[in-house]
Parts: sequence; structure tokens; C-alpha cells
Amino acid sequence: MSEPMIAIQGLTKRFSTADGRKHLAIDDVNVEVAEGEFVSILGPSGCGKSTLLYMVGGFVAPSAGAITVQGRPVTGPGPDRGPVFQEFALFPWKTVLENVMYGLRQQGVSKAEAEARARALLDMVHLKDFADFYPKELSGGMRQRVAIARTLAYQPQILLMDEPFGALDAHTRTVLQNELLGIWERDRKTVLFVTHGVDEAVFLSDRVVVMTRAPGRIKKVVEIDLPRPRVRAELLVNRRYQEYIVELEQLIEDVHLEAAGA
Amino acid sequence: MKSALRKLGPAASTVLSLGALLVLWEILARLAQIDGFPPATEALVQVPLILGERESLASIGASLWRMFLGGALALCFAVPVGLAMGRNKRIAQALNPVLTAAYPIPKAALMPIIMLWFGVGDLSKVLVIFLGVSLPLIYHSFHGAHAVDEKLLWSAMAMGMKPVARLFKVVLPSALPDVLLGCRVGLAMALIVMISSEMIARQSGAGDLLFNALDMALYGDVYAMIVILAAIGFVLDWVFERVRRRLVHWAESRQDAMVPGGGV
Amino acid sequence: MSASNIFAGERLRGTAASVLPLALILLAWEAVCRAGLVAPTLLPAPSVVLLRWIALLPDPDFLHHVAQTMIRLLSGFAIALAAGVSIGLLASRGGGGLLEPVIRVLAPIPKIALYPAFVLIFGFDHASKIALVVADAVFPILLATFHGARSVEPKLLWSAWAAGASRRATIFTVVLPSALPSILTGCKIALLISCVTVFLAEMISSTDGLGHLLIRSARSFRIVDMFVPLVTISTIGLLLNAALVAVRNRLLVGHGNHR
Ligand SMILES: Nc1ncnc2c1ncn2[C@@H]1O[C@H](COP(=O)(O)OP(=O)(O)O)[C@@H](O)[C@H]1O
Ligand SMILES: [Mg+2]
Repeated sequence: MSEPMIAIQGLTKRFSTADGRKHLAIDDVNVEVAEGEFVSILGPSGCGKSTLLYMVGGFVAPSAGAITVQGRPVTGPGPDRGPVFQEFALFPWKTVLENVMYGLRQQGVSKAEAEARARALLDMVHLKDFADFYPKELSGGMRQRVAIARTLAYQPQILLMDEPFGALDAHTRTVLQNELLGIWERDRKTVLFVTHGVDEAVFLSDRVVVMTRAPGRIKKVVEIDLPRPRVRAELLVNRRYQEYIVELEQLIEDVHLEAAGA
Repeated sequence: MKSALRKLGPAASTVLSLGALLVLWEILARLAQIDGFPPATEALVQVPLILGERESLASIGASLWRMFLGGALALCFAVPVGLAMGRNKRIAQALNPVLTAAYPIPKAALMPIIMLWFGVGDLSKVLVIFLGVSLPLIYHSFHGAHAVDEKLLWSAMAMGMKPVARLFKVVLPSALPDVLLGCRVGLAMALIVMISSEMIARQSGAGDLLFNALDMALYGDVYAMIVILAAIGFVLDWVFERVRRRLVHWAESRQDAMVPGGGV
Repeated sequence: MSASNIFAGERLRGTAASVLPLALILLAWEAVCRAGLVAPTLLPAPSVVLLRWIALLPDPDFLHHVAQTMIRLLSGFAIALAAGVSIGLLASRGGGGLLEPVIRVLAPIPKIALYPAFVLIFGFDHASKIALVVADAVFPILLATFHGARSVEPKLLWSAWAAGASRRATIFTVVLPSALPSILTGCKIALLISCVTVFLAEMISSTDGLGHLLIRSARSFRIVDMFVPLVTISTIGLLLNAALVAVRNRLLVGHGNHR
């Protein structure tokens, strides 16, 4: 088998709290993600999912352990790993088009070419008529589409998505889940997707990593063996899909009970 | 070096940087060799001499007393006005244009006119300080009162509290962080107006001492007076900031808390 | 004039409603003077001041004084802006440990007290007054830049770094634009301070400028001519503030509704 796209070994993160004590947020996490794989990290809020993703992104330094991407150790952010945040994190002073062009311009792509590629991406996320709008003039769903387009623009091999649809209403969320799967089916990027939604994780992923809380450890890894391309209406009546949902809900329930008992 | 300085804590690093500034002054002055720019040491030796002299000490004391009076009067007047403006649209609308037009006028510049009206005595000087302190105080009290949570007022009304009681029992405490911020700015203003009005009127006080030394070409004294006034500014701000933090430790710190002269 | 409202918490409704009280005050003042309740040598009627002001506006001598004041005010403000933004950015990126305590010492000093030193070092001409304006105006801009740059949303920086932007590039493409609303608020304060400072400096020691005009008129007890420079500096302050608000509205199109 070839080298994994992402390899996480013995990853540990401690934060110092305000009163000077150490808080163990992540403890000895080991995960491997293959190229083109869609992996979700599922866990209750506060279990360290974001922290884990930020460390893969190179935004936060681990306390111990190692992360390699295509065999190279992660030392900082790089355009091979594109983040998409729950808060969208668009540049409010730039228009939609300028936001999407940003990465290309920073990498020295000419203005004309950057604009052409940005417009093509906006077309893909159904925002071609909103190129000259400012982020504040868009709805949450549209903003997240812009953020996804901005990240796709510089063609990262890995997408790091931190509850990207968490701030959206239920309907918009399902629409964007479908769109994300559509995009993913096309170029099969490696995706590390953080969520606390069981159905979202099952619907999107090849594998789901379930985490425990305080400290964040891996509780179980569940393979999602469902046919692709996935169609929501078909899955809802699929026995195996229902079993995955029940299994994961049960796991999350256990995590909660353990945390309460501890 | 950087992290070492940070570890020292704010007090030590402040003292250290003060020392660094004095050393820098000393070196620059020795390099420049200008009569009107004596080294720090020459100025600093004059400080105890000036403070030891009964006359100049009394003069500085009188300045500070007038500053205190003007500030206290402004506190009694400006805070209620600002709070009322923040809670009542009518009052805000009525006073807003007047205050807006008054804002860019240097209050100390009114000194010659006020002296025509009230003479050269203390009254004019206190009045000018009062005017200078009032505007930033009104401004910040206004903003504080404006941002008071409506629901607090609704509950007070439901309890049958009268408007004036609401102003002092609900609006004032909620607006306290802003009011105190205004006080800090007002304190800086009071000192500035005090010094500049005395420089303009040239009758008495710290600002007058400073220019007398300048007129007599006593450059060491000029810089010693500057050091004294700078020290007063620094100490007043430091003391007030301690008090402010203690009073509003419950409120989150605000970014503009460090902006000096935030509303001249 | 509602755009240049200092108390810009919210747009006031009708301009008529907001100007009315000011007009009433002026009318009352006018009436008191006309009725002879105060000596005209102590308080001139507003109409008299206004007429004198209008009469003086085309006067080359008066305009020369206005120009001198404007030169000092604007160059002092420009230097303070350049210095304040660069030092503030520098302090927020690493240099903070060294610069912060120095700023803590210098910021609360009443800068006007430094004026005699500036006169001694830079002479009686433009330079000493500009130096005082810079000393007074630089701190609000510097502190606003510092705080604005410090509170940049980290995820914006992360997004930029992940997109391949260098640390240096993000200072100009992320940190500066993020801090812009805060910087402009600092500029607003600094601009008002500049107006006040230049006028005071000219009153204390100068041979020209609006502040000097006031002192000259005061020496010969010409009360109307004492009010004219005050009206002028107030108008200049309001106009500059309105200009700044216009610039701000242009620059901050994308930002949320910042105060
Ligand atoms: N910068 C930080 N400083 C201190 N504690 C932090 C920091 N970031 C996260 N934590 C703590 O680490 C834990 C995990 O946080 P996070 O990764 O945000 O969880 P999740 O994304 O799963 O909700 C939480 O207890 C949180 O309080
Ligand atoms: Mg999270």
C-alpha cells in the first residue's frame, strides 16, 4: 500500500489554563488518511476536534507527537492543506471575486488568469452573479460557498473542514452537503471533516473517527461502506445507513455518559 | 531580551523603559550640544531645587487645586447630562449640535475671553478646566448610557422606579465602565487645559513657571518643570487606572481604554 | 452636517430637528445682545461675529493666517499618521515587548508641557508647532493601530497563510485592512487633537496663524476679532472631520457597521 496522505502519530496537545494549570485537550491520537479519502472526525463539542484539525493545518503546534503530509512533517501552514472554517473567515474588505482570487494572487498568478479561474469557481458554486458583492451582503450559505471556492482556488491536495456547515440552517446544510459531495466526486481530494452531526458524518464519509472528551482520544473508527455517488433519499431507506446512524449515535451517547461519570 | 522584559512584569518594564528614555535623552543632548537642549542630568538636578522652593511649590499646588476643582465640578455636571442624553433622544438631539460645534474648539483658547468676563483670578482658570473636562465626560457617559441593556430598564420600570432613580440606580452603574473611561480622558484633559491656559494667561501656576524659566533662559529649569509636569501626568494616570480597574473589574477590558485624549 | 456628528452613535433623524436647538441658542444670544443686556465689549452678537467672519474670508492677510495654521495642522497630522501606523504595526508584530512599556510611559505625559522644549530645539517657526502636533496626535493613532492589529481574527491570518501568503504579505493584505476601522477611529481623535494643539501652540508663541490672531485681538480688546479665529478653527475641525467620515465610508465598504 502506498504512503498515507496524512499520518498522525502520538499527537498530544496541552493548553495552559488561566490559573496556570495544564489542560490536556488531545491525548495520543493516531490516524492515517489515504489519498482521496473522506474522513470525518466526530465528537461532542469541546473534545478537541478543532484543535486536532488546526494542528494538521499547521496553525497550532502540537505538544507531542508527529504529523506528516505525504511523508513530510508539518511545520506550518501551506497551500497543500486548505482550511474551511465554521466562521467562514472571509476577508470582509474584499469582494467575493477578490476573496477567491486572493490565494492565486499571493502565489504570483497573473491578475487576468486569477480572475478567470476565480470566476469559473464561482460559477461552480452557483455564485457567478455575486462576484462583486461584499461578504456581509451574502447569506451564511453563500458565504460558506465563497469560502470553499476561495480554498479550492489554490488547489490544495487536502481540505481541512471545521464544522463548515455548523452555522447554517438545516435546509442550507443539506444543500451544501450535496454540493460538497458533488465537488469531491469530481476531483477526489483528501478531506478531513470535523463535525458533531452523526448523519452528516455518515452521509459524507468513507470513515468516521469517533472521539472521547477531556482528554480527546479516539474511541472508535467506523468504516462507512455505502455505495457512491450517494443520494440522500436513497440512503434514508438503506438498512446499512440506518445501522451506521444507530451505531454512531450509541457511541456518542457512551462518550457523554463517560464524561458525566468521570 | 523581549521575553525577559515581559517576564519582569509591567511595573519593572515601565521603570526600565523610563530609565532607557532618560539615558537616550542624556546621550542625544551630549551629542547635539545645543544650549536649549541640556542633558537629562542637568535638568534632573534642578527638580529638587524647584520643589524645595516654597514659592514654586505653592504655585504648582495652586494649579493642582484648581485642576481638582474644575474636574470635580465637571464630574457633577457632565455625567448626569451625558447619561440623560444617552437615554433620551430629545435631549440628545437638542445638545448634540452644540457639543459637536464645541468639540474642535480648544477650551484653553477661551482663556482670553473668559478673563475679560471673570477677571484674571482663579474663577476663570477653574471655569476653563471645567469646560475642558466636561466634553469628554459627556461624550463617554453618553455612549455608556446609550448602550445600556433595555431589559434592565424594563425590569426597573416594572418595579415602579422613577426616571431620576433609574438614571442613578440602573443607567449609571451599567454605564460605569464608559463613565470611568471618560474620567480618565477628562483627567488628561484637565492637566492639558491647566498647563496651556496658564501658558496663555501667564499669571501664575505651573505653566507660567515653565515660561518664566524659558524667558530667563534657565534651560535646566525649563526641562526640570517639563519633567515635573510629565511626572504629574504619569502618576495621576497610573493612580486613576488602578482605581478604575478596581471599580469595574467585572467589565471586560475595552480596547479604547488605552487611548489618551480620546475626545478633546 | 449630520455626517460629521461627533456623537455618531446613530444618525439623527431630521436635520431640521437637530439644528433647531442650536439655532434657538444663537437666537437667544442675539436677543440678549440686541436688548443691551450685556456690554458689546464683553459679548458680541453672533450676527456681528458672522458678518465680520464673512467680511474677513476674502481678506488675503486673514487667509495667510488660516494657511499657516492649516500647513502646521495637516503636516503634523500626516507625520503622526505615518509614524503612528508604522510604529503601531511594528509593536503589534513582535516588537511589542519593547515598545509597549515605552508607550506606557510617554502616552500619559501632557504633551503641551513639551512645547517649550520644542521651541528651544526647533525654533519659533513651523517646526516646533508641527512637532507638538505630532507628539499629541501620534498616540491615538499608534494605540488604535496597535490594538486593531492585535485583535485581527486569527482565522483570517490562517486562511491567508494557508493560501500561500508570506508573513510580510499578510501584514499588508490582512493585518492592515483588518485594523483599518480602528485606525480610522484613532485618526478621528487625532485630527481633533491636531486642531486644538496647533491653535494653542500659536496662542502661546507665534507671529502668525489663527491662534496668534486671537491673542493679537485680545491684546487690543477687540472682542469680535477674538471670536473669529475660534469660529474658524471650529469650522476647520468640522470640515476635516466630515472629510474623514467621507474617506472612512469609502474605505470601509466591506466592513460591518463599525462605529
Ligand atoms: N487556545 C486555547 N487555549 C486554551 N484552551 C483551549 C484553546 N483552544 C482550545 N482549548 C480547549 O481545548 C479543548 C478542545 O477545544 P476544541 O478543539 O475547540 O474542541 P471542539 O472543536 O471539539 O469543540 C476545550 O476544552 C477548549 O477549552
Ligand atoms: Mg470546534
